[in-house]
Amino acid sequence: MRGFGTSGRLRHTRLQAVLAVAAMGAAVALPVVLVSVGGGVYDHEIASIQNAGYQIAVSSAGSHSITGAHADVARFGAVAGVTYVSPVLSIAVTAFNTTGAATAVLAEGVIPGEFEPTLGSTESGLFPSPLPLGDPTDRIHYANGTYSGPATYDVLVSSPFAQAYDVRTGDALALGLTANASSAVRYNVTGTFGVPPSIIGPIGAFAIVLPLSDLQVMTGYANGTGTIVPDAVDTIQIVVTGHVATDPSALESVRAQIQTLVPYYGVSSLGQEAAQLQAADSVLTGFDLALSSVGIAIGLLFLALVLFRRVESDRRAIGIRRAIGLPARSIAAGIVGDGLVLAAGGAAVGLFGGFLLVTFLAHFASSTVQEAAQLAVFDPRMLAELAAAVLALSVVASLAATRSALRLDLSEALR
Amino acid sequence: MRPAAPATIALEGVTRTYGHGADEVPALRGVDLTIAPGEFVSVEGPSGCGKTTLLNLLGLLDAPTTGVLRWGGRPVGDRSDRERTRLRLEGVGFIFQRFYLLPTLTARENVELPMRALGVGRAERARRASGLLGEVGLTRRERAYPHQLSGGEEQRVAVARALANAPGLLLADEPTGELDSGNTQAILDLLVRVRAARSATLVLVTHNPEVAARARRHLGMLDGKIVRDARDA
Repeated sequence: MRGFGTSGRLRHTRLQAVLAVAAMGAAVALPVVLVSVGGGVYDHEIASIQNAGYQIAVSSAGSHSITGAHADVARFGAVAGVTYVSPVLSIAVTAFNTTGAATAVLAEGVIPGEFEPTLGSTESGLFPSPLPLGDPTDRIHYANGTYSGPATYDVLVSSPFAQAYDVRTGDALALGLTANASSAVRYNVTGTFGVPPSIIGPIGAFAIVLPLSDLQVMTGYANGTGTIVPDAVDTIQIVVTGHVATDPSALESVRAQIQTLVPYYGVSSLGQEAAQLQAADSVLTGFDLALSSVGIAIGLLFLALVLFRRVESDRRAIGIRRAIGLPARSIAAGIVGDGLVLAAGGAAVGLFGGFLLVTFLAHFASSTVQEAAQLAVFDPRMLAELAAAVLALSVVASLAATRSALRLDLSEALR
Repeated sequence: MRPAAPATIALEGVTRTYGHGADEVPALRGVDLTIAPGEFVSVEGPSGCGKTTLLNLLGLLDAPTTGVLRWGGRPVGDRSDRERTRLRLEGVGFIFQRFYLLPTLTARENVELPMRALGVGRAERARRASGLLGEVGLTRRERAYPHQLSGGEEQRVAVARALANAPGLLLADEPTGELDSGNTQAILDLLVRVRAARSATLVLVTHNPEVAARARRHLGMLDGKIVRDARDA
């Protein structure tokens, strides 16, 4: 139903329509951005967990607080169904390249032969196979806890680090705990590895991988103090195979057995972690929608006011229609139709605007926001439900205007 | 389309009051009136005497404060709002002083509007609307919007719209009030002609004695009462 009167009034009506569509669009764009980006990040994390090469993780609070890691490899490996046990020690160290340039890098100490099977489908293609880190068992240098065996001094460096500091395979790389190059130990760069195209998660762009015992010695013996190395790690990742990998109850049984062995550490299956993440995702999505409902409520209120204002300015046109004998349902349908058109316009603007905003953030936002936006997932079902909900609510929003139109005093409107 | 048979309309002790308490304004004060089918009635009187209120009551746009309004012997107060709307759609054609065409519709669409409400099919609507616009002399102006029409043309479209559903009762509220003398005569001739052709009842409110003279029955109103009711011999 259009305005009755001069072109100025029609312009006014158009301006109101534009504002109503803009308000609804902004209200719809908010949940599109929040839910798509939030859901995308969670989906990415859940996928990372589901795609990991290991199924159980042992961890403890504080740094390097799982002690006896090499011994645990044997203990956990003896549990039926367990095929690989990979302790990982992560610590920031200082690297000095051949030109003497120093930078901090994330060093990961691993047992090469145990670490490689824990790589997920995404990561496994990024590492050379087998890992060129000398002894795959790390038992030679470790030498039953004496660390008196010969070290290989092999190290793998990440591609971003290698590129930034011009480090190539075959180069020497000095590693130390401090910025003092004289106390650093020379390592041989035996290869490079890529990093996933995501900065979300525990992977650092500047990273190195070296045998666990080497890193343990570096952190415990670097200054030559001669104290006992505690054989400590941050986490232990456990790979299971056979039916244990596919049967949740069997996996839970293995997890429980390991938990019995180390009741003082946290032992969780990745399935549990994925379920927890999914639950957290649901909670966050609910929160996002609850937050967005405030914006949608304001948009609908604005829509209701615009429709109400239209009825006020169209009193005569409505009066004429009623006087002619158009039934009330026809008048109501016109107003509800107007509301639906404005809401549909707003929903379309919001959906498209939200998509554009996320695309913009994915290209031009600062690092973490950009990364999160790149992970956004536009779920067609969610978007369709959002649009349907907005359309349904627009019918409610048009009720006040409809009521006003149907209660119009005809003789007054036609005066 | 066959015209709806005009019904006898009767007002018995009808009052209509606007406002409440101290702001109460009586527009009609105890009107008794019977209009037989096919009558051509003029209603004259000064501004504010209740002419338009009477017309609104006759056309079911308004309801009496007290008293009884009967259509075909049945009190209108017994009918639901939906029934009254249906009666208006099928039985009453309104012609307003300011034409009141819908500005976003063409002349033909304005004429089609009552037919659409009645559920007449698109092709039949178009055929009938074209016929009616031809009858009022606007064959070539079917696609014109109201702002593209002269005052006389707008009122012709309004007459065609009033005739769209072949009503038995035509109510015209100062239909020539906004027109020059030439158009006044043309519209009056048109109203007289279409009323006669359809044997419809025509109630025409006017200030203009020359316009009122075309009617066969003449009602005079003053202060909400009918003070004169004369029939031509």
